[in-house]
Amino acid sequence: MTNRPRYAPLSPFAQARAHLLLCDGAAIPDDAFAPGHGLTDFPERWTVAGHALVMPQPFGAPSEQRFRSASHLLALLRHRLAAETMGLRIYAVGSEPFVWDVAKIAREAGMGREEMRLFACGAPERRVACVHCRTVNPGVTTTLVTCAGCGAVLTVRDHFSRVHNTWMGVQCDAEAPGEVPPVEDLCA
Amino acid sequence: MMDNHTLTLVVADAALIAPGLRRVHLRAADGARLPPAAPGAHITLSLPGADGARPLRNSYTLVSADPEHGYELIVRRADRSRGGSRHIHEALAPGDVIDATVPHNLFALHSQAKKHLLIGGGIGITPLLAFVARLRETGAPFELHQIASADEIGVFAALLAPRAGEQVHIHGGRTSLDLPALLAAQPLGTHVYTCGPAGLMDHVEAAAAGLGWPSSHVHREDFGAAGGEPFVLRLAASDIEIAVAGDQTMLEAIEAAGIDTPSLCRGGACGVCILPVRQGEPEHRDHFLSEAERAQGCHVMPCVSRSRSALLVLDI
Ligand code: FES
Repeated sequence: MTNRPRYAPLSPFAQARAHLLLCDGAAIPDDAFAPGHGLTDFPERWTVAGHALVMPQPFGAPSEQRFRSASHLLALLRHRLAAETMGLRIYAVGSEPFVWDVAKIAREAGMGREEMRLFACGAPERRVACVHCRTVNPGVTTTLVTCAGCGAVLTVRDHFSRVHNTWMGVQCDAEAPGEVPPVEDLCA
Repeated sequence: MMDNHTLTLVVADAALIAPGLRRVHLRAADGARLPPAAPGAHITLSLPGADGARPLRNSYTLVSADPEHGYELIVRRADRSRGGSRHIHEALAPGDVIDATVPHNLFALHSQAKKHLLIGGGIGITPLLAFVARLRETGAPFELHQIASADEIGVFAALLAPRAGEQVHIHGGRTSLDLPALLAAQPLGTHVYTCGPAGLMDHVEAAAAGLGWPSSHVHREDFGAAGGEPFVLRLAASDIEIAVAGDQTMLEAIEAAGIDTPSLCRGGACGVCILPVRQGEPEHRDHFLSEAERAQGCHVMPCVSRSRSALLVLDI
């Protein structure tokens, strides 16, 4: 049984006071938007440029804000949401760990699922939590990973925690010691 | 889902607290502990009908509920009382025994809310009084805006006096509260709860929707739908015809005819009383059926809805 999140292509909510789109990279695939929709539907965008040369932008209402890193963007998002009023909708597009980081911050600010839309895209990349030692291993792209905390070789189970934004990692030969399955790339 | 848990209550105290408002304290007739109730819960009382008619069932919000000390209600004398509120005002006396349902809660504080915005109109203050008591206890952020007609400001100020504070505001008349501005200023994670005349609650809902509030953050309490035109109800399966009077609900008419049919909130919110329609055009007044379901016209909530056609045929 998998509880893999499914993502619907983005379109703006019909009734909202304001919309904010958060992206973890400049390249957003076309299929991230529902037919008939695109970037122009989201005049206010925050994007991770991932670059030390990102310059502070003049204050005002720029349609696009660029950030040095995802952490930078998420920290300012937390700040922004604390000052926001009801009627805002947020949209996140990017890697799965990124969009669920956005969801977590929004949830902590009091927003519900009916006020946000997420679309994960790009090559599969997961944060894997070791069930044995609780270490979170970021950036996992294969079906097996050696836990950075306890050294166990973990199988990435198809089980996602929406609260912790992690997939479950269980020692791969726990049932039959020594039987290590082949390593494969994670598939979307 | 018929609820069979009834309580036998005794009137411990009944006092007029303002013209047309009576506060009633109820305890278990056998002195036992009463079931606890969350703020916003209501009970349905069986009250004698006017002129020896069948008993009426009216739902009242609990202003406070304590298993030891009993339940407290505040009842407004309705202008067009079918007998329920008139009985409470004219006849009810300490020592009277009343049957009631156990408390039900269809109007509850949302535990995930960052802030609670309470908007009451007139006697719609009753569940909000229970909310304020709880919110003060838990220390959760809230604001209460009570709208009262100019001549009743004093009544509500007195009711709210024990709970006064900077979060509590009383407005004389609906025009003195700028609802859109109030709603527009609320932080993310706010839930709004409104109880009062349908017009006020519709206004709150529409203003919130217009500002982009998701409907999951807007809560309303519907009690005591007013009457309308009389019509005739035919129950196809039981082969009987019932006249529904203008000041009577369809549900009451069915019950008065001796037919037992499930109900819970009696305010068009819970969906328990749903009945299939075979013929005729229902006038939907509930908040349970979706637009699509209404358009199909296959079901009706008899606790609040009526009929547009002179005859409504139900499949029961
Ligand atoms: S009894 Fe709840 S909707 Fe009718």
